[in-house]
Amino acid sequence: MFIMKLVGCILIFCSTSGIGFLYAKEFEHRQEDLNSLKTMALQLRGEIRYAMTALPEALEHIAKRHDGRLQPFLSEISKKLSERSGESMLQIWSACEEKLSVTSLTKQDKLFLHQLGESLGYLDKEMQLATIDLFLTQVEQTLKELETIGKEKKRLYKSLGILTGIFLVIIIL
Amino acid sequence: MKEELLKIFSVKLRTLFSGLSFDYEKLQEIRLRVNAPLLVCYDNKEFFVNQKNGLTTQETSAFMITGAELKETMEYISNYSLYAFEEEVRQGFLTVAGGHRIGIAGKVIMEEGRIKSMKHISFIHIRLAHQKKGCANHVLPFVLNQEELAHTLIISPPGCGKTTLLRDMIRQLSNGVVFCGKRYEGMQVAVVDERSEIGACYMGRPQNDLGIRTDVLDCCPKAQGMMLMIRSMTPQVIAVDEIGLAEDVEAIHYAANCGCRLLATVHGRNMDEVKGKPFLGDLVKYKLFERYIILSNRDYVGRVEEIFDERGSLLYSDKT
Repeated sequence: MFIMKLVGCILIFCSTSGIGFLYAKEFEHRQEDLNSLKTMALQLRGEIRYAMTALPEALEHIAKRHDGRLQPFLSEISKKLSERSGESMLQIWSACEEKLSVTSLTKQDKLFLHQLGESLGYLDKEMQLATIDLFLTQVEQTLKELETIGKEKKRLYKSLGILTGIFLVIIIL
Repeated sequence: MKEELLKIFSVKLRTLFSGLSFDYEKLQEIRLRVNAPLLVCYDNKEFFVNQKNGLTTQETSAFMITGAELKETMEYISNYSLYAFEEEVRQGFLTVAGGHRIGIAGKVIMEEGRIKSMKHISFIHIRLAHQKKGCANHVLPFVLNQEELAHTLIISPPGCGKTTLLRDMIRQLSNGVVFCGKRYEGMQVAVVDERSEIGACYMGRPQNDLGIRTDVLDCCPKAQGMMLMIRSMTPQVIAVDEIGLAEDVEAIHYAANCGCRLLATVHGRNMDEVKGKPFLGDLVKYKLFERYIILSNRDYVGRVEEIFDERGSLLYSDKT
């Protein structure tokens, strides 16, 4: 009986600690994804500012240079834009946002990206660059915030996992 | 050509056009105007387009263009990226794959007295690119003197085949030609294509065949482009379309002094009209051009009416 209890306790301890570590990892992933978004925006800005590249082509170039979790999203938009299926830029952009489910971006991060998609494509170069700059500011701001609270939060997730495990083990024993 | 052209239209228009069976080689123009019937110019005649019967002269059953069709078509023309065509929009036209020329009109946005951009594009004019290979055949014997090409100016009113003739001359001179048993070796040709009409370049690549020894500088102002090409590509022949500005004339002088042969076109109906043009008239007076080819659209587009030499002597005439 005691052995059974001990095994159960070990399992509980491992899973709660695992959940804690998982949360901490997810936090790191979000930072990575936001950094990828930043790189994407910088590349897009370059493509538009210096080469005046059209969006399908620019996104294809960026997707090729990208090996992160944003890659499926970028390639899908570029592919759909080239199909000329009768949908507007925003409709295509919104439909492709489901490809972001593999990332660790939050609702708020995705909203920023959606807003970028809303203004891409039309009007002049200055407008495009201004929209991308706004998006970059939002992403950088979020990254900064994560940086400040990052270490503490990660430690908190890990310790909470471990402590919850210990707490449950004590109760059971 | 059909598939490439249809790609620029909205889904509805694409379905309409693909359901019709006509010879795309004879299709010259397509005009889309908001809340107006779709018009095409086919085999030199104007037609409405009907969903059931195809081309018709009956306005009542014609397919009507809506604002949504225009908006969607414009998105495809600009590849969802109107910003990438800022300069072209400012000038009122852009070139798409296949070399077709799209003219646009709508509400103009001004900044400091200059056209900055255009929005609410409500009128689209599509001029289809047709390359007529061989149309310069009967002109070349008059412009090739012994070993050299004469400085040549092609004169005609708009829509009479100036650019088409120039394009074929470029192609043949670049590839090399044989007539009367004599072979003229191909020449290095530099084309300064300010309005993307000669080469109809799409992403820097000419969509028309301009020959194997031709370099094209796309969307570049003529005067600056000619200087650049002389310095960078050492051409034997420089070809430009629609000259007229003081700086164009100056650049032509410079190019001629550098030993380049010139091929150029200008709007006009006859020699007197060209002589009377400011700046360009001086070139005629100084006898810089050695051949003047005058075109018209009498009976057919691109008819060579007359060819003169630098002294104004008539070398060829098709006037009846």
